[in-house]
Amino acid sequence: MSETRSLLLEIHCEEIPARFLAPLALEFSEGVLAFIREQLQVELSAESFYSPRKLAWRIQGLPAAQADQRETQVGPPQRMCVDAEGRPAQTGLKFAEKWGVGFDQVRFEQPAGKKEPCAVVTLVRRGRPTPELLAEALPRLIASLHVPKAMRWGSSEFQFVRPIRNLLCLFGADVVPFVLDGVPTGATTWGHRLYHMDRPGPVAVPSPEAYEKTLEAAGVVVSCAERRLRLEQQITALAGAAGGTVVRDEHLLDTLAEIVEYPTIILGAFPESFLTLPKEVLVTSLAEHQKAFCVEDGAGALLPAFLTAANRPDDPEGFLKSGNEWVLRARLYDARFFFDEDRKQPLLERLEKLKHLTFQRELGSYFDKTQRIAALAGAMAGSLGLDGGDARLVAQACKCDLVTLMVGEFPELQGIMGGEYLKRENAHENVWTAVKEHYQPLSADGPIPGSSLGGVLAIADKLDTVAGCFAIGQIPTGSKDPLALRRAGQGVIRILFERGWNLNPMAISAQALEGVGAKATRPAQETLEALEAFFRDRVGHQLEQAGYPGPVRRSALAAGWTDLVDLKARCEALSAFADDPRFQSLAQSAKRIGNILKDEPDQGGLDSAQLREPEERALAVHLARLEAVADQDQLLKDLAELAGPLEAFFSAVMVKCEEPALRAARLALLRRLQGAFLRVADFSLWQ
Amino acid sequence: MHIQELILRLQRFWADRGCLIGQPYDLEKGAGTMNPLTFFGALGPRPWNVAYVEPSRRPADGRYGENPFRVYKHLQMQVILKPSPARVQDLYIESLEAMGVDLRKHDLRFEEDNWEAPTLGAWGVGWQVMLDGMEISQFTYFQQVGGMDCRPVSAEITYGIERICMFLTGIDNIFDLTWGEVKTDDGVFPVSYRTVRQREEFELSAYSFEHADLDLHWRMFEAFEKEGWRLLKEHGHFLSGYEQALKMSHTFNVLDARGAVSTTERPGIIKRVRDLTCACARAHVEREQAMLEAAKEEGVRA
Repeated sequence: MSETRSLLLEIHCEEIPARFLAPLALEFSEGVLAFIREQLQVELSAESFYSPRKLAWRIQGLPAAQADQRETQVGPPQRMCVDAEGRPAQTGLKFAEKWGVGFDQVRFEQPAGKKEPCAVVTLVRRGRPTPELLAEALPRLIASLHVPKAMRWGSSEFQFVRPIRNLLCLFGADVVPFVLDGVPTGATTWGHRLYHMDRPGPVAVPSPEAYEKTLEAAGVVVSCAERRLRLEQQITALAGAAGGTVVRDEHLLDTLAEIVEYPTIILGAFPESFLTLPKEVLVTSLAEHQKAFCVEDGAGALLPAFLTAANRPDDPEGFLKSGNEWVLRARLYDARFFFDEDRKQPLLERLEKLKHLTFQRELGSYFDKTQRIAALAGAMAGSLGLDGGDARLVAQACKCDLVTLMVGEFPELQGIMGGEYLKRENAHENVWTAVKEHYQPLSADGPIPGSSLGGVLAIADKLDTVAGCFAIGQIPTGSKDPLALRRAGQGVIRILFERGWNLNPMAISAQALEGVGAKATRPAQETLEALEAFFRDRVGHQLEQAGYPGPVRRSALAAGWTDLVDLKARCEALSAFADDPRFQSLAQSAKRIGNILKDEPDQGGLDSAQLREPEERALAVHLARLEAVADQDQLLKDLAELAGPLEAFFSAVMVKCEEPALRAARLALLRRLQGAFLRVADFSLWQ
Repeated sequence: MHIQELILRLQRFWADRGCLIGQPYDLEKGAGTMNPLTFFGALGPRPWNVAYVEPSRRPADGRYGENPFRVYKHLQMQVILKPSPARVQDLYIESLEAMGVDLRKHDLRFEEDNWEAPTLGAWGVGWQVMLDGMEISQFTYFQQVGGMDCRPVSAEITYGIERICMFLTGIDNIFDLTWGEVKTDDGVFPVSYRTVRQREEFELSAYSFEHADLDLHWRMFEAFEKEGWRLLKEHGHFLSGYEQALKMSHTFNVLDARGAVSTTERPGIIKRVRDLTCACARAHVEREQAMLEAAKEEGVRA
């Protein structure tokens, strides 16, 4: 390979929203690498850099030009191109002229498929220089980036994520020349605004390799990963200096790394008097309003300190610290105002107000929803041996915080505030905990409610939402699930599954649907069928999350799923045999049995006396033992041992024989075996 | 730094950079964007730079003059630059320096904050500008106003006067700000924001939270709507029609502060205001186009 060079492209914009940076960097990398693969026949990788004002990429190892392409052109026969004396004839000269070569470059060869030697020229198409190709492709690739919220600016029709103010594009030390929306490329860019206060000119970047160093000297750390690392180190150190550890929030750390060009953490303080606010309020208020972390002591109690990022290396006169503290005080003052105002009225007195808060247009208000949850939670509590009165009480209380000022300001504190207010009204711990927890689980791996009452309330709330929405035709399809019903349904199944509660999801769904009553716009039977398919999928997903192997999940689920306790036990037992080759054989046999029985009517009882071959009599003995076993593990062991006899049976015995009585007995034997299998799993789905 | 000094400096700054200095529009409104200087100015091809102070009423933010940070009515300094200049961020930064902010000592950030005014059929993309962690301005590239694409695009800069003043002075209570100084034969008397505004805050908060007659407001809302459409449809008067839409908007805000508008009614009410503002905007653009074409024809004949 000849000498290679690096490409550097930097799009310098006005501040790009943090959430677009990584996706845009990735999309462009893929686009430009595909172009390079196609045009330069090399497989390369791209480094991407981004900061609030920059999107940049560096690709190393590009050839200086496309490879030359050789192609052969075949012309008229030799006899027509030269005369008898071997001098060029008119036809020969014309052929040479056509391809732009001298006659001396015309050779005479007999190409495959020709009967005589012909005039041949080999043309070399020079590969185009890489910078030329890039100059054509890059503006097109930039302009075709998929920008979710594209904007126009000035008088131009050009659209991008934010106005483009400078383009840096180097191939080695040379500029790749192109113009995008009136902005020409060059070898310079802009550093941090602070840096340019005393240096009005742009910064020259001598080579792609010098990019990070040059920008760091101009006050910009272009690698987002590097900024995140530096922030994290400072956070750890400063939280320690404040006498605690940081309340971690990876998402916030990501955001901070994306919104600064030079990462520095500021440690600030707020008045201790605000520590009377619930911890969740402080953590949320600081994160949401001020992009700040809280600091906690060893016992998890908050300290009156916060950490936030600044976009410059220092705080020369303490303005950054005092400014952030000032704003935070204003925010916390507001939060305390909401907290104090909210507590002037007992939480449950807001129940009436819920009549004016719409849950779903067809399903009525949150008050209506509350009443449905109460009935459902009361019934569920009864089945689980819990106090139905408590369940109905927490149901009445659980949505009241939706009309508090605090939840109006911080919607993500729903549930948490209800719990906190009840706690301060001296409600029983059972009660306030249940209200606080009832939106859990908030994510696939977030915790489920820790208390039984919280679990019941969470299920009742989610199930009412799911069943209600299904009843009005709001059923998730494909990627469309605007009401996040799948998440709610998954939450129901996860709580049941992890708590080991013996509640049939379809039975409580039917109860929930009864609660919806006349508000339903679709026939109940149709809704129940849709709910059945929906929850079966959720259970399948739950088994997957729980880590059961594919054959175990598929075969266990097919043998029944509404008894989740039993399903879990079957999956546990089956998992021990996941790699057992005997089960592979059993699966084959089960499939075979299924095929044989497919079109056979059930002819009733098994007459063992009819069986005559040793293989089928052995099978009948096994069957009797299987049917007598109550213990699941023992049943599976026996099933595993059945693999051999079954194989032997199928190789020795023809089931559908001519003798009607024998045939009936054999079919009955197989049907009984199938029944025994289905007590644990549908083995035909094992593979 | 006093309130009035801050306003004067900003007006001087933007006047020196080629802006008309406008005046507040004498009707209640929630934001400076609603002033016709912006609403109509941002539409159509005509170059348009204007800056003005707009007292902005947010009935739900009323705190009876007791909250040190929130008020029913605050002052917005509004700047419109059409088309948005290439150096618009630099210009903005220079305006901060003109206010006395030495950026060598502070942390300035532009954080994503897209703006939408559903009653005006308007939206744009931009930032909230953060100085040492405090939002001091909104910065928006208008993409649509009155339901129509902005061509060219205007940049809108909005400064929160009281906030910036509090920040610059380190004063923790809005009412402790100094509005300005009164000089008489007897001496110099500093006048506080409290003196100028606190009683007004109290009465306006009480009005929107307690005393406003809700039935009357619903009737007024209907009446303004009817009047607005009558002016627009029967007379083609989009400016007086637009005034009625502004009155609808404020009336809605009063009702909303009282919790008199349910979540289900809300979108419908907003749409009724938007329908009128957008119709006024269209009428304005049609008139501008007709004038431009007439001017062109005149040019051809001459």
